[in-house]
Amino acid sequence: MSLGLIVNHAGEIAHAEVGSEFGQFAIPLNDFEIITGWKLKPEGLCIDQICVAVRDPKSLTNQTEIDIVEFARITNQNIVVDHVRKIAALGEHADTRSEAMTTLDAPDFTLPDIHGKQVSFSDFNRRKRLLLAWSSW
Amino acid sequence: MALDADETAVREWATKEKLTMPVLIDKFHIVADLYGFVNVSASIWVDENDKIVRPADSAPGSDMFRSFSNIDSEVHHNLLRKWVRSGERDLDDTAVREFQVKPNQDVQLARLHRRIAVVLRERNQEGDDSASREHLARAEALAPLDWTIRRGNMPLVGVDPFGDEFFKFVGQWSQAGRPGFKLGTGRVEK
Repeated sequence: MSLGLIVNHAGEIAHAEVGSEFGQFAIPLNDFEIITGWKLKPEGLCIDQICVAVRDPKSLTNQTEIDIVEFARITNQNIVVDHVRKIAALGEHADTRSEAMTTLDAPDFTLPDIHGKQVSFSDFNRRKRLLLAWSSW
Repeated sequence: MALDADETAVREWATKEKLTMPVLIDKFHIVADLYGFVNVSASIWVDENDKIVRPADSAPGSDMFRSFSNIDSEVHHNLLRKWVRSGERDLDDTAVREFQVKPNQDVQLARLHRRIAVVLRERNQEGDDSASREHLARAEALAPLDWTIRRGNMPLVGVDPFGDEFFKFVGQWSQAGRPGFKLGTGRVEK
């Protein structure tokens, strides 16, 4: 076991023990639920009201750990893993994001402001908003 | 919302300019991912029903780079004023969907490599940055024409974002037909 780092789709960073015996990038089940928002239930991998069937549970979990590479494959999410530095980044598949964009719903996000305070886009719901992307480069 | 891994640069500028709106730092380009920002400076409009009513498009604050971008910044400003004051939009939902820039898998995977690079860079601030550079290079190979990747990476590897590398990139991008935002608000002929 060694300490690994996971960046989830929302840009949140979490540390978890990465198993060396099982799977490609396996983390404890408890950490998995906190990091991804998904839950492993008898009916499959679930988030909100949606569950995805798991055909081969043995390749996903050994009951204490869950392989997040296999999790990403089953739930059609993207994952990039640096096995040497024990870092994984989870993100949305292009098709999922493209479909979500066509709903025209403004997705929420939470980021730090320049004073370090966490601010959510939804803090300004029910108001007109101009979202500007800029940079120092 | 600044697409920047360098908090200090953002904080200094926002403080100096006495900005009154919330200024957020998006070091992992989460919002670029969610809203389809492929370059800066760019805008999205969201209405009182939390719906996107104008897609991501170039939105320069001034005409400082007009000779390069061929964009008259006032066109967007005027459309914005009209919408804020009267609620009148220049695009209906069908047009918003038509002009959205949808991501492909290469760009999505490039963003993940970039996120890992940013984590590695923060971890090794004083030391060896070869691991971080490895992931930045992977990101650039996957999305060689995305400005948030190509130009956004430059300050992370000590490259001048207005230097030779940048103009080399602009050459490649022009040759590929200047892919990016589709709408082209305020675009003027030379």
